[in-house]
Amino acid sequence: MTEANPNPKAKSRQSDESPEPLSLDEAADLATRVVENVEQVIVGHRDPTEHIVTAILARGHLLLDDVPGVGKTMLARSLARSIDCAFTRVQFTPDLLPTDVTGVNVFDERTREFEFRPGPVFGNVVLADEINRAPPKTQSALLEAMEEAQVTVDGETYELDQPFTVIATQNDVEADRTYDLPIAEVDRFMKRLSLGYPSPEDESEVLRRVTGRHPIESLDPVATGEEVRRARETVANVTAEEAVREYVTRLANYTRDHAELGVSPRGSIALLRAGQARAVLDGRDYVVPDDVQAEAEAVLGHRVRTGGDLGGRSGPELIASALESVPVK
Amino acid sequence: MSAESAVGRELELGDVSVPYHWLAVGSTTVLIATYLSVLFHVTDVVGGTTALLALVAATLLAGAGVARHLRAGQAAALAVGLLAVGVVAYYLTVPSAYLATTTVRKVVGDNVALLTGLSVLRMTEVGAWALGVAPGLVFGPWYLVLRRRYALAVAAGGAALGFFVLTGDAGSFVTLVGSLAAAAALGFGTLARRGGTPAQVDTIAVVLVAMILLASTVSVVPGGSASPVLPGGGGGTPTVEGSLVSNDDRANVVGSIRLSPKVRFTVESDESAYWRVGAYDRYDGDGWIRTGDTTDYRAQESPPGETTEVSQTVTVEAERLDAMPAAWRPTRLTDGDRSNTRITSAGSFDPVGSLRQGERYSVTSSVPDATERELQTAGTDYPDEVESRYLQLPESSGERIQERTDEITADAETPYEQAVAVEDWLESEKDYSLDVERPDGDIAESFIFDMEAGYCTYYATAMVAMLRSQDVPARFAVGYTPGQRVAEDEWVVRGLDSHAWVEAYFPEVGWVRFDPTPGDPRQTTESAELTQARASNVSDVDTDESEGGTWTPTTTESPTDEGATTTETNETNETSGATEPETGAEGPRRQTPDVRDGVNETVGGSATDEDATAAGASGDGGGLGITVEPPSREQTALGAVVAVGLVAAARRTGVIARLRRVVWLHWQPRSDPETDVSQAFDRLEHVLSREHRERRPGETPRAYLGSLADGDDRIERVGRLYERVRYAGETDERLADEAVSLVDELVRERRGAT
Repeated sequence: MTEANPNPKAKSRQSDESPEPLSLDEAADLATRVVENVEQVIVGHRDPTEHIVTAILARGHLLLDDVPGVGKTMLARSLARSIDCAFTRVQFTPDLLPTDVTGVNVFDERTREFEFRPGPVFGNVVLADEINRAPPKTQSALLEAMEEAQVTVDGETYELDQPFTVIATQNDVEADRTYDLPIAEVDRFMKRLSLGYPSPEDESEVLRRVTGRHPIESLDPVATGEEVRRARETVANVTAEEAVREYVTRLANYTRDHAELGVSPRGSIALLRAGQARAVLDGRDYVVPDDVQAEAEAVLGHRVRTGGDLGGRSGPELIASALESVPVK
Repeated sequence: MSAESAVGRELELGDVSVPYHWLAVGSTTVLIATYLSVLFHVTDVVGGTTALLALVAATLLAGAGVARHLRAGQAAALAVGLLAVGVVAYYLTVPSAYLATTTVRKVVGDNVALLTGLSVLRMTEVGAWALGVAPGLVFGPWYLVLRRRYALAVAAGGAALGFFVLTGDAGSFVTLVGSLAAAAALGFGTLARRGGTPAQVDTIAVVLVAMILLASTVSVVPGGSASPVLPGGGGGTPTVEGSLVSNDDRANVVGSIRLSPKVRFTVESDESAYWRVGAYDRYDGDGWIRTGDTTDYRAQESPPGETTEVSQTVTVEAERLDAMPAAWRPTRLTDGDRSNTRITSAGSFDPVGSLRQGERYSVTSSVPDATERELQTAGTDYPDEVESRYLQLPESSGERIQERTDEITADAETPYEQAVAVEDWLESEKDYSLDVERPDGDIAESFIFDMEAGYCTYYATAMVAMLRSQDVPARFAVGYTPGQRVAEDEWVVRGLDSHAWVEAYFPEVGWVRFDPTPGDPRQTTESAELTQARASNVSDVDTDESEGGTWTPTTTESPTDEGATTTETNETNETSGATEPETGAEGPRRQTPDVRDGVNETVGGSATDEDATAAGASGDGGGLGITVEPPSREQTALGAVVAVGLVAAARRTGVIARLRRVVWLHWQPRSDPETDVSQAFDRLEHVLSREHRERRPGETPRAYLGSLADGDDRIERVGRLYERVRYAGETDERLADEAVSLVDELVRERRGAT
């Protein structure tokens, strides 16, 4: 599972023109296919799965925030496998260097030239495990890649292949020897999710499935990278009327009025985009407030800082109260 | 909804917001206006309205100007100073003769007397007084309210109004309006100080309405008689007979009246005469007031011209008699309790307290005996005191009456001819009727221009006003017509003989009586009344003599039940009676009171208890016939306040909101698709909220409809249509049509039952 893109082109513009968007039904079908496919492996996490799919369609990145061993990696892998595209994984450790993420120029004795060895960031789905254990410099290398969709090494800029989605995990358990992501950087993740422990029924189902051959081994791709790119166009074309835009704004304003640090405009944008993807998942070409509400906690929860409680732990609660009291018009 | 509960210092009315302070100022202005209206009325009666208005305007302006800069202490000093200057100015205008007798005790006594219900109009120089006190009365409350001392402003204004309530000059309507304004000023003032919500404004409105409604259930208020709201009402209506018998300082003109057939007194006299009780000089549009004070008894001078001495002995037959009827002009009380007799300012005798049944008194009168020629040539050289006192007319109606009288008396060259012309005109133009509706405005003006019928009070009032408009001094006299002549020298006088007539002044002659009331119909009316009373066996209708019939000098007695006699008939045929009372040898129209008797009207309701009995026994019903009439201005104004209050109450209780809701629910105006669908959805939501629950603020339409699980596809459909229009931006007319018609259906089905 280290299928990194073997030949990243320096400065290569991947086709400027956007791909032809899928029809609404095709896009909805695609999303559903992927979700259902992942569900063959991941039991009892339909919601996070949908969130991840919508995040991919909305060109976002994800932060999975949970105790170890609940299937974060498996989820990311099944997703990458369902979409026929490159999956890479980086285990963040305190001694990880930025070039361990982005790649490095090595001197080829034979050709007497420097040759770029792309790092794990050159993948379509990048799993960044325990991102908070790496020093900030390494973290920011990844974050830059996420933000710009490109990587710069030794002055040379390399465009990342699309779709490009980072699924980072954070481990809350060992708070020492970690470098908490500053809120400004957390902001770059479209969503933060936690899977949580499965219910007893789900867990026994998990146990049933893993006896014998692991289901992921038999998982077949149900979509191509090209299809995902086209579905993204479909999502981008989803209508968000003024009523919905105002609703998003009101939600953001509510968090600004009720928290030490409220949702940034980047957060509002992310919420609306996620709403668009959610609408497609539901087979609509327009966003309704329900889409916004479905995405709000995941998209906004980590972007607010409530009084003194760093890391926005009570962020989701604040968002919940915002959803309750901000009127839908 | 947020506006409902918002505490603020402004009242929001649609787009307009009015600070409570200005509402308080407005209310105080109304309060000030109520007692100014009394002063205005005073100046309207005696002259000086322009000066009053100018003074008030100047005070208001100056008050507004200095309110900012003046401290409370200075302002109080200024107000007291203004009042003091005004009062001093007033005393300066009072005739020095009066001042000479003025003592502090008398001034205090007079003022106390005023507060017991004596109209300020009784003051001789009331015009000067009104102008004097107006600035002080206006400045105090005005300054205080501008300084936001609302309670003090209301206290000051209320005290001023209270003064006029006690003097009886502020009528019940004015009093009620003043009280309402005071309450409103206090309420708004409090809101202005502490901030208030629209709900509290509603409460104020409801309180005001309660005040009106409660006031309408109270029939007796200091300011006057009737309930301020309901027509008729009130048992305390002053009546003209009451005025006549008690010789009050004020004679009010009332509406419909009835006759009292009870015997009041008998007279033994050399000659027939109008038994005069008193006269009134000041006319205020509503009635008559006698200014000036009564004095202790002393013999009176005879009138300047030739006179005839007439001796009368009066025996009181009624239980009480508050006056001393006698022929004009009484000079000496030859037999009676002189120490308990006073002289009114109009020269008639008046008992202190009342005379009891069986009491007798004898009066010698000097009856003017002028010929027509003397009256014709009397000229217009009136004494100053007569001119100043007996030419007054309300400014508001004077001019119009003058124009009409000018036409009527165009051919008249002397005051006497003018009087005759006016008398003739009234007799020929107006019909006699006891059943009249009291006009709202000026009595004389209404009678001259609008009314078609009236009785003696109206005729006399009109004639006095018309004579005065021609600069002929005249006054309003009341008393009794001669009554039924039962012997050569004896007359029986009944309540229905009470009468009002006119006295005009002629230099070198004195006061001469004119009676503009047509005698013929009056006679008929009274005969009928007497017959009926006798038929119903009402007590005290007859004395021993009168039952036997009427004595006539020329024919044998031909007693009739009606007390109508040949003589009377003859008299009536020549339409003399009241219309041409003078049948002297020279034939001038002089008051020779040998007119037929027994036919006169009781004006007004009961003066004594027997009258009430009589009224009941004769089946004549209560005095004032209540008829359906268009609402007066007062009723309209109060009605408007009540309406506002009811609206406020309705709003408070949510009736209006409910009404609007019903209309809104069932009838949806159409505009653009988005609005239509939104409104349709709102209506649907309302229906569902009644049926299930309300949508929570953060709940999306889809989640809401889904959670209800109503099972009605149409609801689901409306929800989808709403989403498509609202969130997908579709603007298709058909979507709107479908949504509206679906909701119409749903509303009909689901609200039809409730």
